Amino acid sequence: MGKEAFFRSAEMSLVQLYIATEVGREVVAALGELGSVQFRDLNADVNSFQRTFVKEIRRLDNVERQLRFFSSQIEKAGIKVNSVPGYADVTAAPHSNEIDQLAIRSEDLEERVNQLIESNERLLKKQVELVELRHVLVEAGAFFDKAHNVPEELRASVDNDNAPLLNNDVEQGDMSNGTTFSVMNIGFVAGVIPREKMGTFERILWRSLRGNLFLNSAEIAETIKDPKTDEAIEKNVFVVFAHGAGILSKIHKIAESLDADLYSVDEDSGIRRDQIREVNNSISDVEEVLTTTQSTLYTELQAIAEQIASWMVVVKKEKAIYAALNLFNYDQSRKSLIAEGWCATDDLPFIKATLGDVTERAGLQVPSILNELHTTKTPPTYYKTNIFTESFQNIIDAYGISQYREVNPGLPAIITFPFMFAIMFGDLGHGAIMFLAGLVMVIYEKRLLKAQRDEIFDMAFTGRYIILLMGAFSMYTGVMYNDIFSKSMSIFKPGWEWPYTWNEGDLIMANQTGVYPFGVDPTWHGADNNLIFNNSYKMKLSIVMGFCHMLYSLFFSLVNYRFYNSKIDIFGNFLPGFLFLVSIFGYLSFIIVFKWAVDWYGIGMAPPGLLNTLIDMFLSPGNVQDLLYEGQPTVQVALVLLAVACVPWLLLLKPLYLRWENNKIKKQGYENLSQQEVTRLSFDEEAENGTAVVMEEMHEEHEFEFGDVMIHQVIHTIEFCLNCVSHTASYLRLWALSLAHAQLSSVLWTMTFERAFSMEGGLGVIMAFVLFGAWFLLTIAVLVVMEGTSAMLHSLRLHWVEAMSKHFIGDGIPFMPFSFKAVLEEPSA
Amino acid sequence: MANGAEVLYVLAAVIGLSLATWFLTPKGDNQTVWRSSVILTLAMCYIMWALTYLSQLHPLIQPMRSDLRPEFAEGYSEYYGTE
Repeated sequence: MGKEAFFRSAEMSLVQLYIATEVGREVVAALGELGSVQFRDLNADVNSFQRTFVKEIRRLDNVERQLRFFSSQIEKAGIKVNSVPGYADVTAAPHSNEIDQLAIRSEDLEERVNQLIESNERLLKKQVELVELRHVLVEAGAFFDKAHNVPEELRASVDNDNAPLLNNDVEQGDMSNGTTFSVMNIGFVAGVIPREKMGTFERILWRSLRGNLFLNSAEIAETIKDPKTDEAIEKNVFVVFAHGAGILSKIHKIAESLDADLYSVDEDSGIRRDQIREVNNSISDVEEVLTTTQSTLYTELQAIAEQIASWMVVVKKEKAIYAALNLFNYDQSRKSLIAEGWCATDDLPFIKATLGDVTERAGLQVPSILNELHTTKTPPTYYKTNIFTESFQNIIDAYGISQYREVNPGLPAIITFPFMFAIMFGDLGHGAIMFLAGLVMVIYEKRLLKAQRDEIFDMAFTGRYIILLMGAFSMYTGVMYNDIFSKSMSIFKPGWEWPYTWNEGDLIMANQTGVYPFGVDPTWHGADNNLIFNNSYKMKLSIVMGFCHMLYSLFFSLVNYRFYNSKIDIFGNFLPGFLFLVSIFGYLSFIIVFKWAVDWYGIGMAPPGLLNTLIDMFLSPGNVQDLLYEGQPTVQVALVLLAVACVPWLLLLKPLYLRWENNKIKKQGYENLSQQEVTRLSFDEEAENGTAVVMEEMHEEHEFEFGDVMIHQVIHTIEFCLNCVSHTASYLRLWALSLAHAQLSSVLWTMTFERAFSMEGGLGVIMAFVLFGAWFLLTIAVLVVMEGTSAMLHSLRLHWVEAMSKHFIGDGIPFMPFSFKAVLEEPSA
Repeated sequence: MANGAEVLYVLAAVIGLSLATWFLTPKGDNQTVWRSSVILTLAMCYIMWALTYLSQLHPLIQPMRSDLRPEFAEGYSEYYGTE
């Protein structure tokens, strides 16, 4: 079949690679670029700390940590990170010196950035301290002035009676010189405290000093930034006056425990003025240095931001390489790495060419060797998908991975999935909206691939081809149902004609003049008995469609059995199953079509009811009330007997045959033949290659157990027969959803836009505008998006359950090749 | 009046188109996908059309309505002519 692998998964080979240790990294890098080998873990019993290349991975982890540190700093500084320039070279393998340089460079950079950040923090702290000090100095000045008056009053009250006036005057003069506190033995503590702690501070002081204090505080108007946490905090300046050294030290302790910063302030206003000047000078100095530091840091980070994305890519790739190398066996004595892995047989030449290239580039004498191994292990399932088929394959893979080389249900799903959807979503208008949405995404595919997509849009974008086909088929079924936004179209001449004259309000009947050639006749649209016709038409349509879909899927099981060369499955599973399905539901579909094809009134017979025919077929076989055709009772009895006979056939033939076969082999004494054969085969292989290949073959040959086989077959039989009934009924969802969709869209039309037609004048104009908007928005939101999602889920179920249960084995292992593309697409942890 | 043979003619045409698709699909990586998709599309569209057509071939009921105004008949016969 050449290189294409979509009908069946690609043929896989287990290969063994011998790589000289010197080029190990280069070879893996080249294979990662190619992305078509899945390496097996040959060191499964070695824990991850004892593997060969742990040291390298550690080093890369460190670089990765540094890069993450940079990006967090860059984010903090609010610099925009450049994305990786050019999408193409991302998958190219990094050079080994590139990574070394990067490691050294990021080491240097980390040191520098750290230094800058540290000095920045130090300066910020200094700046905050200075700013706080300035506030204390300014505010404290005011307190001192105020406080000078207080002792005077205190004194005044004490000395009121007997103190000579002169004395007071002297003291007053002293006070103005500003030396009274020490004279009075009153000390003070000044500082800054967070505003929210001010209340607590006050209360604690009051209680612990029993009120022997005088506290002054003022709010600082600006907020002060905490250099550590970067938070803006509101603070207060406070000055506490108290009496005695012991009490003062107590105040010190309490203030410090409440995160207050204490500053020493001189009570002399002259010195304070000097201090303020000094502080102002240092603040401007610090600010200058701070600006330089910050701008240096900013430029440094900006330079890093330009390249960090591509560095991250390099590190990720390098880490992936060493992780892959850790899966290899390291042969100490021969200085070579031994790798085992799966790859598509068709890709072998590419891989060989890649290996050759690497060896040549390195100028090595020893070539890398690639051996194909024979194995009984189950190869992984690998479908070569393209941009179109990928999304459809995802639908199938979400349910289960197909067995190696079985028929891929993803192939028919490309058409059946959107078509089943369209049967439920049939409306030309809604289909066109969906088709256009899909078309836009397909046309601007390249641009959208590069753009950032949010989660919901990404889902729609991944399924753009599904949406495109769903839209296209919905347009077809819309024409079939003759629905466009719940209105009808008269493209061809209708097959019904109304009478020529009638009176208003008469119940009139149309006469048939022909058959509408394409789709449902527009005359039915708006007819009083429209629903009676549509109901019967859509129900029968969904039954026949469902039967066709199931029969088609069932035939895939025949294709599978033929491919796996299993005759007993063809005769013991497929044939009875097929006959069972056809004799009951095939016959049902047949009489539906047959009844339509006969002109009952033309031949003067009463049209027989299909429901009664079907019920009678099982309850009283051979007894038919209204004949559909001559010999109907005989045919029906034969079909019922055939269906009944299929059940024991399906149940017994396969287990009994397997038992007979097993006994025959046992009698001839070949019980373990197949196992021995396998061992001998691999032994031959070793001898031929002349190398000590260690292959753990898994012997999955089980003893034949009749009980197991029988139980499996009983389950299969019950499941198959019951499922034929329930699955046919399940296809009736096509009928229900298509009717519901048509009803909903016609209700929406009547409730919104149609109302505007009965209004007159200016109001009518405005309302037509408004109601059209409402109708259009609701059409998109409810009918296209919501109904579309629901129909899609129903179609999904029809594929996963009704169709795939007929043939899907689905116990495959997904093929996950080592590729840089996959590594980079992974979200970074 | 139609007797249903159209369903068979179109079936023959669809089979012809399917065969043509099978043989004319260019060889390449996507041959199987093209063949399967085109033929399945033809088959499903045909089944849907044929069932719709057959269901109206010998109708057991006629459209009825009581909300048509008599003027409708004039425009109607003008547009489609009378047979």
